[in-house]
Amino acid sequence: MSAFLTYLLNGLAVGCAIALIASGLVTIHRVTGVVNFAQGTFAVVAGLCTSSLLGLGFPHGLSEVSAVLAAGVAGLLTGLAAIGRRGTTPLSSLIVTLGVGVLAYAVEIVLWGDQPRSAPGLAGSVTLAGARIQTHYLLVIGVTAATFVLLALFFGRTYLGKALTACASNPYAARVVGIDVRRMGLLAFALGGVLGGIAGVLVTPLRPISFDTDVTLIVNGFAAAVFGALTRPVIALAGALLLGVAETMAAGYGYGSHQLEVALGLMILVMIVQASRRSAISEEPA
Amino acid sequence: MNNRAGLAAGALVAAVTLALPAVLDDSALAVYILLGLAAMVTVGVSLLMGYAGQVSLGQGAFYAIGAYTAALLALAGVPPLAGLAAAPVAAALSALVIGTPLLRLRGHHLAFATLAVQLILLSLAGQLEFTGGDIGLQGIPQFGVGSFEAGGAAVYAYLTWAGLALVMLVTRNVITSRPGRALRALATSETAAASSGIPVGRYKLVVFALSATFAGLAGGIYCFYTGYVAPGSFPVLISIQYIVMAVVGGLGTIWGAVVGATAITLLVQGLDRLASLPGMPTYAPSVLSYAVYALVLIVVVLFMPRGLVPAISARLAKNRKELPYR
Repeated sequence: MSAFLTYLLNGLAVGCAIALIASGLVTIHRVTGVVNFAQGTFAVVAGLCTSSLLGLGFPHGLSEVSAVLAAGVAGLLTGLAAIGRRGTTPLSSLIVTLGVGVLAYAVEIVLWGDQPRSAPGLAGSVTLAGARIQTHYLLVIGVTAATFVLLALFFGRTYLGKALTACASNPYAARVVGIDVRRMGLLAFALGGVLGGIAGVLVTPLRPISFDTDVTLIVNGFAAAVFGALTRPVIALAGALLLGVAETMAAGYGYGSHQLEVALGLMILVMIVQASRRSAISEEPA
Repeated sequence: MNNRAGLAAGALVAAVTLALPAVLDDSALAVYILLGLAAMVTVGVSLLMGYAGQVSLGQGAFYAIGAYTAALLALAGVPPLAGLAAAPVAAALSALVIGTPLLRLRGHHLAFATLAVQLILLSLAGQLEFTGGDIGLQGIPQFGVGSFEAGGAAVYAYLTWAGLALVMLVTRNVITSRPGRALRALATSETAAASSGIPVGRYKLVVFALSATFAGLAGGIYCFYTGYVAPGSFPVLISIQYIVMAVVGGLGTIWGAVVGATAITLLVQGLDRLASLPGMPTYAPSVLSYAVYALVLIVVVLFMPRGLVPAISARLAKNRKELPYR
């Protein structure tokens, strides 16, 4: 029973990290219609930045926040490349973000080398109902919950958030009432970068990050995001938690070598079911 | 380009292609062979992206299926020619099986699904007993027909480029046929194509299978040439590389795929030479090739979305029009 609880909480923490990646994907896709392939890159950039800053002797807190800001800047730059030029179709933008992800490989290898790096997280562990949980896992869960609450408040209660939502629901109408759709898109990319950065900072102490970790991160994040059809963050959160718990349980109870296949197979299945329920006509671009 | 000039250009390209293996040394031949194999896969990617309007981020998976099929058969003692023939068939069959559910998806969903398929296959190949795990399959016999055995790299060069010629011929015939016109309609608007009676789903599946066939054939030749296959030979980056080549050359053009593959391969090779000069850091080759793939992809998608070949031929056509009548 205590083993089960440990796996459950560990799984929730892993799921939270996936959820943060997924929420970045959803934010960017809602506003710009672009699926950002470089979303995992933001997490990698933030994770590598933290490990370097901590290595240079900067205190905790400052290192993490600067790493998240660096990821935000990376998000903004990605946005400039992907949607900065007028008339780029969403599929072209996807290919551009793919290029940005590969370009980031080159930059990351030059700056950090190609070996995985880790960073010390929150030390210690607590005992909860007979199960030992590392404190860092609880931190991951807490930060993710806080981030999602802040996101909900931002989108629901502030003018800027509502402007973003307006761009998401109808870019033409948003332009008519004076919202700069392109600037909102860039803002969404920066926000996506920050969200990916938070995920990276939280994950680095749990599993070492190297330049090519982004493929695993983006695939898991995308799998979670498709649960919410790439537009609904709360369902994406639920999907991510499910994914994280399922993967950790599979690993914990001895099917660890197949967890990637399980996650990817699940993602394909969800997409196919969703596609069969959608009518083809509503998808046709105008 | 008028017909006679096209024929002359084709004959010239064919002559150069046939002459090159005789004059190149072994390391240059290796580049020449890999270039031909990449072009073969890229023709399929270009067909899929340009005509069916679908992006596959997992074309490397079919390359791997072809290579593993040929390798397993060859190691089991099946004649190499039969193994090589089985490679594209196996790739096509798996494309039909995978594509039937997957092609209900489109756009970025399909891109991620195909990427997922490649990741799943690589992971399985790395774990299963009969594929040799992470070490892969080694000691694959040389390619040969009857008592003739391929000794040097030149034989593989001819085999590769004959395969590429076959692939290009098949593609050209598909594009100029009635189904080819249907495919062009389908890429513009699936709804409109369906309403004019085009069986959209079936055509997309056929193009998907055809592009997989090309990749499978290339994979089959690759495994005989290198003599070993392992999951590490087919990273996700290889699929991205095919997309870069197809986009650079120009989607939906046969020669564009060849030009794109040639341009990228030569560029990466040149930079590799540069990076292995004394005094360069050890990470230079991989950094430079990542940077080149990325920058070329971004610049071409943003500033030359139709690719090199269409852009150049449009420029040529314009120049010709501006010439005064004689």
